Amino acid sequence: MKGYGFLKELPKIQIYSFALVLGFMPQPCLANLADQSKDAPALKADAQKILKEKVGPFVKKYCTRCHGSRAKAGINLQNALNNPTGESASMHWKKAMANVKVHDMPPEDSSKKPTDEERLQFIEWIGKLKYLAPRDPGPFVIRRLTKTEYANTLHALYEVDTDIAASLPDEVEGEGFLNSISSLQSELFLGIANKVVEQIVAPKGKQPTATQKRLFGETHPTGTDSKKVVRSVARSLARDAYRRPATDAELEVLIDIYDLARNNNLSHTASLGYVLKAILVSPQFLFITPAEKPESKEPITLLDSYQLASRLSYLLWSAPPDAELAALADKGELQKKAVLKSQVTRMLEDARSKALFDGFGAQWLRLESLKSKVIDPKLFPEMTPTLRAAMIEEARMLFESIIAEDKSVIRFVNSNYTFLNEPLARIYGLDQPIKGIKMRRVKMKNPNRGGILTMPATLTTTSFPNRTSPVVRGVWVLERILGESVPPPPPDIPELEDQGHKEITNLTLRQRTELHQSEATCRNCHKILDPIGFGLENFDAIGRWREKNNQGLVIDSAGKLPDGKTFSTPAQLKNLLADREADLARNLTERLMAYALGRQLEGYDYIVIDQLMKKIAKDSYSFRTIISEVVTSYLFTHRRVKG
Amino acid sequence: MKRDTAIDRRTFLKGSGLSLALPFMDSLASASDLSKPPVRMAFMYMPHGVIMDQFWPKNQDQFLNSPPSIIQSLQPVMDQCLMMKGISGVPIHPFKGAPHALELSTWLTGRLPDADSRGRINISISADQIMANYVGAQTLLPSLELATMPQTWKENQEGLHEGYYNHCSYRSPTQPVPAETDPRNVLNRLFGKRGKDGLVSQTNPLDRQMLDRVLGGARDLRKTLAKVDQQKLDEYLDSVRSVERHIAAIENRQQEAALEKNGVAPTKRFATDSAPIEVKIPEGDKRSEYMKVMCDLTVLAFQTDTTRVSTYVGSRPNGASYPELGFSNEHHSQTHYGSDKEKIRKVAAINKFNVDQYAYMVKKMHSLKEGNGTLLDNCIMMWGSGLEDGNKHRRDNLPFILAGKGGGSIKTGRFISDTKGNQADLLTTLLNCVGVPLDRPIGIATKQIDAIKA
Repeated sequence: MKGYGFLKELPKIQIYSFALVLGFMPQPCLANLADQSKDAPALKADAQKILKEKVGPFVKKYCTRCHGSRAKAGINLQNALNNPTGESASMHWKKAMANVKVHDMPPEDSSKKPTDEERLQFIEWIGKLKYLAPRDPGPFVIRRLTKTEYANTLHALYEVDTDIAASLPDEVEGEGFLNSISSLQSELFLGIANKVVEQIVAPKGKQPTATQKRLFGETHPTGTDSKKVVRSVARSLARDAYRRPATDAELEVLIDIYDLARNNNLSHTASLGYVLKAILVSPQFLFITPAEKPESKEPITLLDSYQLASRLSYLLWSAPPDAELAALADKGELQKKAVLKSQVTRMLEDARSKALFDGFGAQWLRLESLKSKVIDPKLFPEMTPTLRAAMIEEARMLFESIIAEDKSVIRFVNSNYTFLNEPLARIYGLDQPIKGIKMRRVKMKNPNRGGILTMPATLTTTSFPNRTSPVVRGVWVLERILGESVPPPPPDIPELEDQGHKEITNLTLRQRTELHQSEATCRNCHKILDPIGFGLENFDAIGRWREKNNQGLVIDSAGKLPDGKTFSTPAQLKNLLADREADLARNLTERLMAYALGRQLEGYDYIVIDQLMKKIAKDSYSFRTIISEVVTSYLFTHRRVKG
Repeated sequence: MKRDTAIDRRTFLKGSGLSLALPFMDSLASASDLSKPPVRMAFMYMPHGVIMDQFWPKNQDQFLNSPPSIIQSLQPVMDQCLMMKGISGVPIHPFKGAPHALELSTWLTGRLPDADSRGRINISISADQIMANYVGAQTLLPSLELATMPQTWKENQEGLHEGYYNHCSYRSPTQPVPAETDPRNVLNRLFGKRGKDGLVSQTNPLDRQMLDRVLGGARDLRKTLAKVDQQKLDEYLDSVRSVERHIAAIENRQQEAALEKNGVAPTKRFATDSAPIEVKIPEGDKRSEYMKVMCDLTVLAFQTDTTRVSTYVGSRPNGASYPELGFSNEHHSQTHYGSDKEKIRKVAAINKFNVDQYAYMVKKMHSLKEGNGTLLDNCIMMWGSGLEDGNKHRRDNLPFILAGKGGGSIKTGRFISDTKGNQADLLTTLLNCVGVPLDRPIGIATKQIDAIKA
């Protein structure tokens, strides 16, 4: 492995006053990340001025006639003005910016419309409103373990196969939300706990399993000894499963359950099995929760080391803390920035960090849907389950190679290698002989290939079952790569590009694009979306290169980005996007932060992101640095307790 | 029979989201009335509306004798069906850009999500779950939720949480109930392991006491949490309680069975009842076969009184295609048909396909004997969509079909062409028909629709 720049120059540690209230901490701690720059008061005063003198008049002049108390389309900018950093204001401002930026708002027929310059200013002003937000890491959002995390946790603690959780429902994991459980599914956790215990505890008269010996000990205690033994087994089971030491009250509950089982004529071992079963259906196991109420009275506190260990291991591994992390948590060492950073490095080198792609990467690139996406089998008979799996694997391996080799995120857009097996190489139309289904690293000579933009996985994900969708691809590039918000299409408008009319299918792509732009309601967004999407038209709905489209017309992939830069091939489009590495890096940082915190970003979060971006830029937008900066950030390591 | 339109002022509508589940023993203690079969209700959903002129009959005669193409497969049982034209959807202002997130989420709640917390789930308990709260304790399973497709579609319209795109059932304002998509899971869990007495018994009575202690132990943890976190924890604790309740229900049934053995009371209601249908899980991935088996499972669950209320999201908005019909276009993309005849043909074919599966279920239920009549007589089977027409996202005339007499509460064999009311009025009426007392109308409801009642 190559050197990691950030390890060589660890920042100097400072302690800030509010962390001192946790004064028992012997070492310098992460609190230095609570950095509020000395410019903060000035920036805040400036933001207040901007709100009053600039944003206010702009909104009143152009917006509130519809987006005041009438709240057309649910956007109430009057409320946002009154409470500019409130929970819903953030979303309202974001939408307002997106719509004003692309000239979607105010509408065409509006009597008062801002000039282009005013629009740009408005966006700049809104960008400054974050300085009004008080310093706040947000609450620690408790959540149930996801299906994957739950399976991995059982596997890590009890050596059972992860398939044991296969019957749990799949979930939508947006912003810390997990599906609740239906009546039919309510017994699943109990059923799975039963299975775990059955696999661990040998039947009566049989030799105890290795796991059983490890968890329950080997002796069958008698008399007064027994109480002590039971307590100690329960304590160690709970330490692993709750990912923190159990409280006395929690231990009492477990001992009570042991007694219940004993009173019902279960053996000592079977009763301990019952205790384990109880642990596995306890919310302390199923939820990632704070250890206990912080002793300090401060509204904001550093996470305790157990919480930090869990948050970190579920972020990078989707699995519980291993022995090393748990030991660091026990010693209270994890709150040292240097220790935390070196743990990130260690954990990213561990095979378990594959989970970061499954949990975060696939969601970022929207590839989760590819597994079950319907693709027309008549048009694309080559789309076999093997090929689908290879497509996703290719994206995963690029993602992992960027972390492993400590490279800039720009490799996501522009890389001169990829990972292929035989079926996938056929989609690439490679003449090199690549045999077998094993994925291997392949150098890409063709500048149109390499990077996620032109990978079959993403090209297929952004297509319809039977053909490409330049619009979906355009939106994907803007949102997923550049992190821009694209306003949704207005309601009640049929998809123009989905027209089956002869007269339209016979038009050239260029003409079709212009058709999009002939409608006032469509024009403003589509003149941004369509060129990007059409720039990728040389790739069909499963990512194969083609010179002509389905109608036999030669594909014209030339286009222009909103900033005026032109391109005439996918390779040139890629290069233009690669120039925007700062945007890509920021987009990835914001998304990773939201994923790590399990909530949407707002207000103060963006100030922290600004600070992180400076360090990340210095490190040439290394993906590793992004991960490590997120983990050691004020937001990740602190929580709001009150207010 | 004319009923009072006023709504019973009784409880069981837990709408606050803070309340925990019911004390289960109370409701279990009152043995169900064995003299007549219970009334059951099911809801089956298709997104994106219908091609109107191929769905609505012109008049009563056409309804009975030559129904339009989409509903043609119901003709043999049309006298068991009721169609009501004129039921409007919840007006979706201020979420005009979110027709699809709302078509499903308003369907059984009859109201809009909370506009100020749209990034989270915050709507209200749905009609099926209100019914489950009332009758659920009397069956092994309070309610059954099925879906054809995983509820993982990720799209947020108007900033609304993705969950709104996927769910029609809500246990509380903040808790969507996930549906089961694997028929094998349903079959195994509901009808799989049977004990010697023929009852499902995969739970250990000791578990109930254990769970009770786990719940008690969670109390301290709960105290350390902020309010929203307490709510999340409660959702889980609720589900633990429902396991407790399920175990109790099994014990209850086992006691009943033991009593019957000693000649005390019969559990099987009527000697004439048809034997439980056989359900076979299809091989392969034909959508029609898949949907049929989900329908079979609903029938079996009703027939065996395993549950009395079920929902089936036959397809969620967006992401569905029907290769079986000979084209691979996604349903949604075809519904914006404009004047394109080909798209209209495809949407009508998809509509017909969905109604066909519903008709299969209804016909099967009509063929099964129960008491003095058929299984269908004691059920209300509702099919519908949350849009009138996908092309313009209209919601003035939502398509609904009812089948079954609801234990004599509904007068079937009719097409009512000028129904006055909205979808929440309809849900309120249906709950009244199945005997669920409400302490307030559902969603935006202001009245009951008497015209559908017997």
